[in-house]
Formats: sequence, structure tokens, C-alpha cells
Amino acid sequence: MNPRLPRLGALGLVAAVIVLGVAPLSATPYTNLQIALVASYGVAVLGLNLVSGYAGQISLGQSAFFGLGGYAGAIATARGGWPAPLSFLLACLLPAVVGLLIAIPAVRLRGHALAILTLALPLIGVPLAKRYAGLTGGSEGLSAPMAQPPAWSGLDYDQWAYYVVLSVAAVLFLLARNALTGRLGRALSVIRENEVVAASMGISPRRYKALAFTMAAAYGGAGGWLFVYAIGFISPLELDLLLSVSLLSVMIVGGMGSVLGSILGGALYVYIPVVAGTVSPVRTTLLYGAILLLVLFFAPGGLAKAIHRLGHWLGPWLDRVWPRRNGGPPEPGTAATRSEGSVSSMR
Amino acid sequence: MPSLLEVAGLTAGYQRSQVLHGIDFEVAEGTVTALLGANGAGKTTTLRAISGTVWRRGTARLDGRDLSRLRPDQVARLGIAHVPQGRGTLRRLSTAENLMVGALRRRDRSGVTADLERCYNLFPRLAQRGRAAAGSLSGGEQQMLAIGRAIMSRPRLLLLDEPSLGLAPQVTQEVFRVLAQLRVEWGLTMLLVEQSVLAALDLADNALVLETGRVVLRGASTALAATDEIRSAYLGT
Amino acid sequence: MGGAAVRAVQQIVDGLATGSIYGALALALVLAYRATGVVNFAQGQMAVVSTFVAWSLTRSGLGVILAVAVAIAISLVFGAAVERLVIRRFERESPLIAVVVTVGLLVFLNGLSALIWGFDIKPFPPIFSTDTVRVGGVAVAIAALGSIAVLVAVVLALHVLMMRTRLGLALRAVADNPDSSALSGLPVGHLLMVGWGLAAGLGALAGCLVASKIYLDPNMLAGVLVYALAAAILGGMDSPLGAVVAAWIIGVTENLAGTYIGFVGNDLRVAVPLSLIVLVLLLRPQGLFGQREVVRV
Repeated sequence: MNPRLPRLGALGLVAAVIVLGVAPLSATPYTNLQIALVASYGVAVLGLNLVSGYAGQISLGQSAFFGLGGYAGAIATARGGWPAPLSFLLACLLPAVVGLLIAIPAVRLRGHALAILTLALPLIGVPLAKRYAGLTGGSEGLSAPMAQPPAWSGLDYDQWAYYVVLSVAAVLFLLARNALTGRLGRALSVIRENEVVAASMGISPRRYKALAFTMAAAYGGAGGWLFVYAIGFISPLELDLLLSVSLLSVMIVGGMGSVLGSILGGALYVYIPVVAGTVSPVRTTLLYGAILLLVLFFAPGGLAKAIHRLGHWLGPWLDRVWPRRNGGPPEPGTAATRSEGSVSSMR
Repeated sequence: MPSLLEVAGLTAGYQRSQVLHGIDFEVAEGTVTALLGANGAGKTTTLRAISGTVWRRGTARLDGRDLSRLRPDQVARLGIAHVPQGRGTLRRLSTAENLMVGALRRRDRSGVTADLERCYNLFPRLAQRGRAAAGSLSGGEQQMLAIGRAIMSRPRLLLLDEPSLGLAPQVTQEVFRVLAQLRVEWGLTMLLVEQSVLAALDLADNALVLETGRVVLRGASTALAATDEIRSAYLGT
Repeated sequence: MGGAAVRAVQQIVDGLATGSIYGALALALVLAYRATGVVNFAQGQMAVVSTFVAWSLTRSGLGVILAVAVAIAISLVFGAAVERLVIRRFERESPLIAVVVTVGLLVFLNGLSALIWGFDIKPFPPIFSTDTVRVGGVAVAIAALGSIAVLVAVVLALHVLMMRTRLGLALRAVADNPDSSALSGLPVGHLLMVGWGLAAGLGALAGCLVASKIYLDPNMLAGVLVYALAAAILGGMDSPLGAVVAAWIIGVTENLAGTYIGFVGNDLRVAVPLSLIVLVLLLRPQGLFGQREVVRV
């Protein structure tokens, strides 16, 4: 691969960071909120990717973890007065514990059985949330403003929330990426290909799958916390099965098993309804389904893979338009063509 | 004797790799031809190219009819029965049902019943395990079942891909005994891929040796068995 | 019979009737799955579209039974078309992608039904008489008995088709090993279409039964789909009989638990079948009637 691509990618990332860093100061609260939501859903999709994209397990329960984290944060901070970092920890740990409890029996099951087990989570979670209205605010939901911009920053509520959410999300993404490019990622790849082979290599499929599931739950909870932080409200809708199914869909469309794909997934989740709504408010569902199907038909590896492929095409084109000093494109297989941990490469 | 199968300039391969680089041969009706060669030489690919399960270019004709644009099920309906490597057993169906699947395209019910009877005479063990799920049969039994299913369609040409694969020597002998019987009693034309060179040359009238996708040696099997190449490469003499 | 016993019997019959509806949709899921290895999340929504078609036919004067029959016939073609045009491409790939395609189809069809027929609730003419009948001193709705009878008839018909006809043998062969079946001359593509066509027909039947029991709107089968999916998985995903038995068990236990176990109440009724399923799957991962898969390296 053209070694200039990773450098271009890094440059692009720096540019993006600058833009994202400065934008909220002049953008509307609505836009800031949307970008913060992209980040929070992106974290949830990243969690789902851990268990579905990398470990290859179908989980329909991500919304339950998302909602659990959100409610934990909302109740702890808004009702219980906990400081934000503490409630964040709770929002990650509580779903992780639930996830672990479920993972232990679940990893023995095969694909469809696991799907049903995880399906049970939102189906039981929603009625429970509605029932214990005293704690959760019932079907009407709970208002929980958590962001408190400190006086020295001079920022508005939405801007402060934006910075906090994006920073936390960025850290979570980096942590995940490091884990996935290291031992965990490699182990999960082998397990996804063939569990028997993995076991013979000394990689315990059950242990790693349980680990992936627990991490996914924690990330789901973190996403939920970020959601509440950004929007200041939570309701049983955030636990709903519909959210689980949507997260799964945008994960695949964004790009399975890909960190970039998770971000794209979050963006898809937030923006497709917006786009469909502007084209025709009455026909949003129809357009949403059509968009989903179109992407799957024409870019089945997901958008992230399509971008990746674009990179392959971009390299030689770049060489022609802007030749390099040491003359000519390098031969395949030489050191110069090995990718250098670029941002736009996924694994 | 007229040629039943004609292959000319056949190239074939998988997704991104080409395995066959233009082979030509003919199989006369009523004869058995063996395809020999080392692993990766293209023997299995040749059979797959004929039955249409891999991409191919060039000519393959059965009785003058061009096979090169047909889907596998269309090739089968023309009268070519392919017993694939690994048998292709329909595991969850019963033994009897597996045999009946072979005859699904036929319309002559009395003919089918008669052939089923003949099958059970050829393979008495299958008659005993008629109701059992085919997946529970032993390797040898599954091989018999696969051959049985193939002949239930009254094929003009039988393609066999490594019938002895994974089988104990005794069972292999039994399989080849049945094949010899098929050759004599049913007058079946066969194209046989085999690792077990001795058994193959014993059964076949003619043989071809493939190497990296090309035919390097061909002739009557008795003649080939006597050549130095075969003897040193495969028979260790 | 005492009052409590009478109520219990009625609950059981009601549970069997509801279970029959779950069972019809579960059968559809199993048929589609056996043919192509894909769990069709859009099965319910396809059924809704067929039910709307039946409704439109009743509005233009057709009797309800005839309308349902025609709608089922149309859905046979509809299901075949969906397999050929939408799913065929994704059948061999990872199950996740195919599942998401069906989810996309679900959303699309949901929007389409709303577009064509609107979101407002529509009354569907009753298929069975609304009377009750006395059986051994217990008043039982004819509609409930009718649903059960329909499902039993469908199961029997399906059994005869699959086990005693050449078409059934061909369908089972293709479900078992499509490549090997092609080598025996079976037209695999056509048979897959038949499988999905039958599945869509069953779905249409389920949709009409639900609509005639309650009402018709674009979202009416969303909940039923969950139960049907649960029943299919509990039954073992590749066993039609298992799906039906599981569906009946789910219908009955849900009803009984909702009535007799205070904690459950009405909103947590779904927890009952789910807990049951979880328990069964933990003890027997292949479901009640499924076959254990042997994974070869």
C-alpha cells in the first residue's frame, strides 16, 4: 500500500480533530447534540462489534446494556447526586456484571440460541423499567441533566456536553483499538474462523467470547451514559429491542469488525432518519429500509470496507498525479508497502 | 467405438487461480478411464469442470452436446452422475431416501423400483440400513450409498472422485469390486480419479496422467502400468 | 366442573389458540430457514403485506375465506420473488449479513404498508363464527378451536408434502446439501424459491388469523414475530414439528402464568416463555427437537 496514504490519513485525522474541536463553539446546540449522539451510539456499536463483528456472535441485547448504563447514570447523578465520573463507572460496571452473568452460560450456545438469550434482555428490561416507575420514571422517562459546565470554561450546556462526550468516546475508541490490534483481536479472529482450531492452539473460545461479551456490555453501558449526558433524558425506548436491531443493522452497514465502521454506524443511526425525514417525513421508514438495502446490495462489506477499497485505488492514482522523489511506486512485498499502523486501515 | 465424452482445450480453476491449462482427451462409451497424478495436478478440477461446478473454458461434449455453459444440475440431467470427493451424502435423509433422490428426475416408476432392487443387490449393507439417517453410516457405507445414488439416475457417464479416500484397504477393495461389477453388468462408462494407482489401473481400460494441469502421459492402462515412469513414481520399482 | 377448573381449561384452550398463531408464523420461519439457512426477520412483515392484500380483496366484495385463499396464493409468488431477488445473493455469506438484509426488508415493507394502506387500524372480517360452544361444561370460543384446527391441518399437510411426495424429498435434499443435490440434477434455485414461497404462504395465514382476531395495522405482527422466533428456536430451528409444539407450549404457559402468577401480571407475560426457552437451551442447546451439529475441522 502506498506509504503516503497512512500519512495522509494521519493528516486527515488531525484536521478532523481540529474541526471537531472548534466546531461546537460556533455550531447550533442541535448540531452539537447530534454529533454527541453519533459518538455515544458509536461507542454502543463498537461494543456490539466486539461481540458480533469480531467474535461472530449474534447479540440482540445491546440496547438493554445501553439503557441500563443510561439509567444507572441518570439515577445515580440526577437523583442520587453522585459526581459524574463515579456514575460513569457505575454505568460501565453494572452492565458488565450483567453481561458476565449472561455470558457464562451463553458462550456454550450456538448462534441462534445465543440470539434468543440476548433477545430476552430488552424484552424483559422494558417492562421492568416501566413497572418500577418510582425509580425509573416509568414510561414517561426520567429527566436527568448531568452536564454542568464549570464557570471557568464559559461554555454552554450543549458545548460542554459535546466536549465531554467526544473526549470520553475518543478514549474508549483508542482503548478498544489497542485491544483489538493486539492479542484479543487476534484470538477473536481465530475463534471466529474455527473454534476447534482455536482451542487446539490453546485459545479458549469460551473465555474469550465471555470476555468479548462483557466488554461489549460495558461499552453498551458507556454509550448509554454518554447518551444521557448529552441529552439529559432517558426513557424505556432506549432499552427497546428496536434499538438493538437498529444497532446491529448500522453496525453491518458501517462495517463489521471495524473501528471506523463503528463510528460510521453511529453516524448512520443518527443521520439516516434525518435525511429520510427531510426527503419525505411521511416515508421515513420506507426510505430507511431502502437505504439499508441499497448499501447492503452495493457495498456489502460495509461503508468502512468501501472506504478501504477506495484507499487501494487512491494510492496508485496519487503516485501518478504526484510522483515521489525516490522514483516510482515500490514493488509489492517490500518493506515500503507494509502498512504503518495507519488510521484508515482497520485492524 | 464412439466417444461418449470429448474434452478439448479445457481450462478451469477456482476463484482466482487457474488449475487446468488446456487438456484434451476422449472417453469411449462402455470404457473406464482413470485420471492419475499427484495432489494438486488437477484431477478433481477436471471432473468439476465437466460437471460444471467450477469456472471453465474450452470444450466439453457429451454425445456431441456442449456442456460448457450448463449449470451443474443441467449437466446432471443430461446423464452425467458425479460422485464428489467426500461423497456428498445427504446426511439428514435416510439411506433409502438418498437413493431415491438419485431417481427424482426419472418418470418411469417401475424402472426406478427395479433399479432400487438392483442397487440393494449390489450393496446389501444399504438394504439393512435403509431407514437409518445417512449421516450415521460408516465411510465405506457412505461411499456405496453415493455410488448407488449416482447409478439410480441411470447415467450415461459416471464421474468418480477418489472413491477410496479415507477408507481402509479392505473396504477399498470392496468398492472396486462393485465398480468392476458395474462395469461388466451395467456397461457403465466411467471416468475415475484415484490416488490408489494400482486399483485404478486394474479396473480401467485407459488412463491419463496429469501434472500441474496438463496431460503428460496417456494410453491403455496395461501399457501404462508397464512404463518406467509409473513404476518408479507410484509403484516404487 | 368447578369454576376454577373451568377457567383453567379456558385459559389452556386460549393459550393453544394463540399458540397456533405463533406456530403458523414459526413454521414459516423454519421452512425459510431450512431452505436457505437464513432467519427471515421480515417474515412477519411479509405476512402483514399479504394480510393487507386480503383485506383489500374483502373491501372489493370478496368473501373473507376466498380473500384469504387468494392472498395466500399471491404470497406464494411473493415469497419466491423475495428469495430470488433479495436473499439469493446473501445466502452463502455469513448469517449475520443475511439477517440484516431481512431486517432492512422488514423496515422497508413496514414503510411500504404504511404508505399504501396507512397507519390507522383496520377491522378485518372474522374468519370463524364469533359464537362459543360448550364442550364438557366449558364454554369455548369457536374461533379458538378454529385456529387450533387450522394449524393441525397445516401441520398434517406439510408432513405429507415433505415426507411422502417427490417435491418434499427434493426440498429436504436441497435443505440438507444444496451442492450435492445439484449433482443429482435437482434445480436448486427453483426449490429454494418454492421453500420461501411456502413460508410466505404460511405467514399470510398467520397474519389473517391475527387480523381477524384483533385488528389490522402495519405493526401488528411485531410482537408475534418475537414469539414465533422463540418457538422456532426452542423447537430446534430445523424441526417444523418442534416449532409447532414449542409454540403451543409458549402460548399456554404465557397465558397461565399471566393469570396465575401475580408477579408476572400482564406486562411481563413475555418473560415466561423467554425464561422457559432460556432454561431449555441451557440444558439442551439444540432445542427440543433439533439435531446436534457436529463441527468438523
